[in-house]
Amino acid sequence: MIPAAYVPDSFVLLQLGGRRFALPASRIAELSPPLPMHTFPHTSALVSGVIVRRSRIVPVYDASSLLVGARSSTHRFYLIARREFGNASELSAIPVDGECELITGEMQPRAPEQPAYVAGRVAVGDEFVDVLDFEALVAQHQTAGDADRTEVPS
Amino acid sequence: MNLPAHVSARTHRQRRPEQVILFLVSGQSFAIAADTVKEIRSTDSLASAAIEFESLEVPKVRHVIERDRRMCYVVNGCSHFGLPVSRPALALVLRQFRVAFLVDSVDRIAEIPAVYALPLAFSGEERTWYRGLAYIEDHVIPVVHPGGFLTREQFEQLDRLAPGAAAQPHAEGVAPA
Repeated sequence: MIPAAYVPDSFVLLQLGGRRFALPASRIAELSPPLPMHTFPHTSALVSGVIVRRSRIVPVYDASSLLVGARSSTHRFYLIARREFGNASELSAIPVDGECELITGEMQPRAPEQPAYVAGRVAVGDEFVDVLDFEALVAQHQTAGDADRTEVPS
Repeated sequence: MNLPAHVSARTHRQRRPEQVILFLVSGQSFAIAADTVKEIRSTDSLASAAIEFESLEVPKVRHVIERDRRMCYVVNGCSHFGLPVSRPALALVLRQFRVAFLVDSVDRIAEIPAVYALPLAFSGEERTWYRGLAYIEDHVIPVVHPGGFLTREQFEQLDRLAPGAAAQPHAEGVAPA
């Protein structure tokens, strides 16, 4: 029985390299159509370039390289999410392979062996989908990247 | 196309239009404020005046030239930005810093309406390299920070090593560490 005060959480389901993940809907600003990505030399791990969306320059995070082990070459949309930097926040773009879906559900705890960037799991039909902690995902990749700063992505 | 004027203040660092020199290093476009560049010289014209030296501490500098009685360090653009090696044809001699910066070519001079802040997602050396980003004809191009080529420590190291540079005052040409 569901308590009267129960309000299910909302999540956005996204596809990366054939796998499904979820992000809290409260973090998502919009799903953007394909846009040209602009690249320039830098040393920031996980960031692959920028797009211009609604008059803003938005950094693009290559989440698929960490989550599914390869940079996606078929992404069709950008999921635009908010990322916090102390008191400031910034829009961030995540290339996704397919259309996204809004779902509601209660987040379950993650399994102990799962990485820190998995905040929990949410049931979708017969399967559980990992809910991503975007901040932890970036932090983990940046920590890994600090050990190998010799190669500059372009 | 320019970013519309209603872009939020957070996106803007500087909103005044300025003239920039657009140049290429290893096929990558960059911009630098035109008033920070004293002269643009061909590498051929500088070759006879350049003194070659090796510095393990600052490998992106391999030559020093004398400009206006000051020793000026020649920074290789490919090495500075970690780009594939190319053949530089021009040197941008900076006005306020003792740096000549090797580039492949100069595209043109253009006016940009603003320099937009580098997104906070960029947290590495690029925050020293760039003042921000420009949006020119549907392209986002980094605007190079003229003081970002060499740090104060690198100037001091080079001043100790470079031939003829030991007596140089470094009131000019010193970048924040």
